[in-house]
Amino acid sequence: MVTQRVYGFAQGSKVCMLELRNLLCKLELGIQAYKTVLDIPAYKMVLDTVVYCSRLTAAVNVISKRNFKAHWVAPTLRELQRRKVIEEDRGGGPKIFHRSTFLEWNYDAEIFAFSNRLGEKFNDSSLRAALTHKSYIERETARLSDIGVESNLQFQDNEALAQKGGEIMSKFINGYLRAVFTQVPEELIRAMHDYLTSNPTLETVAKHIGLGDLMLCADFPCKTETYVKSFKAVVAALAESSGEERARIFVQDLVVTQLYGQDVNELWNPVDPIGNLTAILKREGKAEPEFRLIRQAGSNSILAVYYVGVYSDKNFISEGAGESLEVAKEMAAREALKKFFHTEDSMRALPFGRQLKNIQSKIAQLENQPNVPLSEWISPKIMSAVH
Amino acid sequence: MSNSHLFLPSGFIRTPLQNGLGRYIPQLQRITIKFCKSHGGSRGVRDFIESDLMEFAKTNPGTVVYLKPRRHRSPCMVAEYLNGEREYLSCHEFSRDEVYKWLSYMCTRSGIPVMRFRKYQHTDYPTIQGVWNPFTHQAPEINVAEFPHEVLSKPINHGPTATEQLIEIFKKTQLEDPANKPPN
Repeated sequence: MVTQRVYGFAQGSKVCMLELRNLLCKLELGIQAYKTVLDIPAYKMVLDTVVYCSRLTAAVNVISKRNFKAHWVAPTLRELQRRKVIEEDRGGGPKIFHRSTFLEWNYDAEIFAFSNRLGEKFNDSSLRAALTHKSYIERETARLSDIGVESNLQFQDNEALAQKGGEIMSKFINGYLRAVFTQVPEELIRAMHDYLTSNPTLETVAKHIGLGDLMLCADFPCKTETYVKSFKAVVAALAESSGEERARIFVQDLVVTQLYGQDVNELWNPVDPIGNLTAILKREGKAEPEFRLIRQAGSNSILAVYYVGVYSDKNFISEGAGESLEVAKEMAAREALKKFFHTEDSMRALPFGRQLKNIQSKIAQLENQPNVPLSEWISPKIMSAVH
Repeated sequence: MSNSHLFLPSGFIRTPLQNGLGRYIPQLQRITIKFCKSHGGSRGVRDFIESDLMEFAKTNPGTVVYLKPRRHRSPCMVAEYLNGEREYLSCHEFSRDEVYKWLSYMCTRSGIPVMRFRKYQHTDYPTIQGVWNPFTHQAPEINVAEFPHEVLSKPINHGPTATEQLIEIFKKTQLEDPANKPPN
């Protein structure tokens, strides 16, 4: 058990300093709590102890043990929590501190761990440049010139790297999409690419690989654009340090995997599916699509359902369901297009990680080769017969 | 029965950022170990630091280890994860093995808080052939059938049941041997 250092203040009131200090540490209160604690005469704390407590303001999950707490612990904590809530409301939300303001912070170690965590080797200068933002450099030079020190800082910012990183990331993503979705028109490829390179997606990826603590930027809490820029710059730094192949695998492992679980048909749908279907069948030299009612139920009720099937020259292509005949017709046309593009709900699972080993060369080849656009799309069998 | 009175939240198993799908990224970002250099409660932690810590740091190069010797306080570990969660563990009077085991436990976790798993599997694609609806496997003939129908109005004939087949077999054997029929 904890050895209790007991400081007797008044007759009968024993205060356990060690226990209370540990409790305060667990509570992780800010400097405001220090002031409120000093107000209570019985709990005059040693200054350095509380300063040490003051930095820990993030919430913590405790792997708890069974302990007996004295009768005064719960009321004390309740009161301190009440005061903390008041201070936070007055201050406009809980105080947050950047991780680098903590006593335990070693930027070199953090960078080393970052590259090892991802399993990649970076050039030190490239990685540091990728994590440094222009706003940070400007702030530092302004600060130094305010003090009066001549600033010959040799920081390099990540503008160029971010630009380059964005380009090569787009390239790698397009290569993967075209190699996996071979039958899909270019519009859907573009929609998937836009989803994968969108700010929310890239911000999530950047946050979850630990960039939040490593970035040198003037804004805190960091903006979305900062995260996205850093991530793109890191991709470029990796391409510089370890080569384009490793950067390609990195983008495939971290960015493209965000496509998993996402229904690609929600990202893009042709505006006029029936018109597109008719055009495709015409181009292929097949008969016009014929829509027939297959099933219906509850026609006069709110919960009506109609199943419409699409036939070409009496061959069944697909069926679709809807609450009215028009909706069902459109859904059937959409299903037919999904079947052509191989993006039905029952499509093959997307390959990731080691499953991409055999098609890396194909991916690299298709990076600069866009798929067929929707206006010219015909089934590959016919395309191979023609060409 | 509701679960509102339970402190342990429940949820479905998940992983941050599709970890493992592309590559596996160890989720433990950094670990801070506080201990006292002289007090007896930190003995296990001190032994761990002297013997096993270097090996741990070498096998987990993606985790930063911070050591904070602090006088007169009981030892503890704070683990920080990539998704921003922190986990505190008091290591008071732990043995060296216990410290090692708890540390390796923290390495295997993502920062997602401990919860009761409702199911031990999860999929984003629950159906491949499509969810059943009453129209699945229905013959298309019902669409253009005029009721009452010869076949469709009658109950579905599945053929003779096993019991009926056995009775038929028995009757056949009876007919073959009429001499053995007992007089009624």
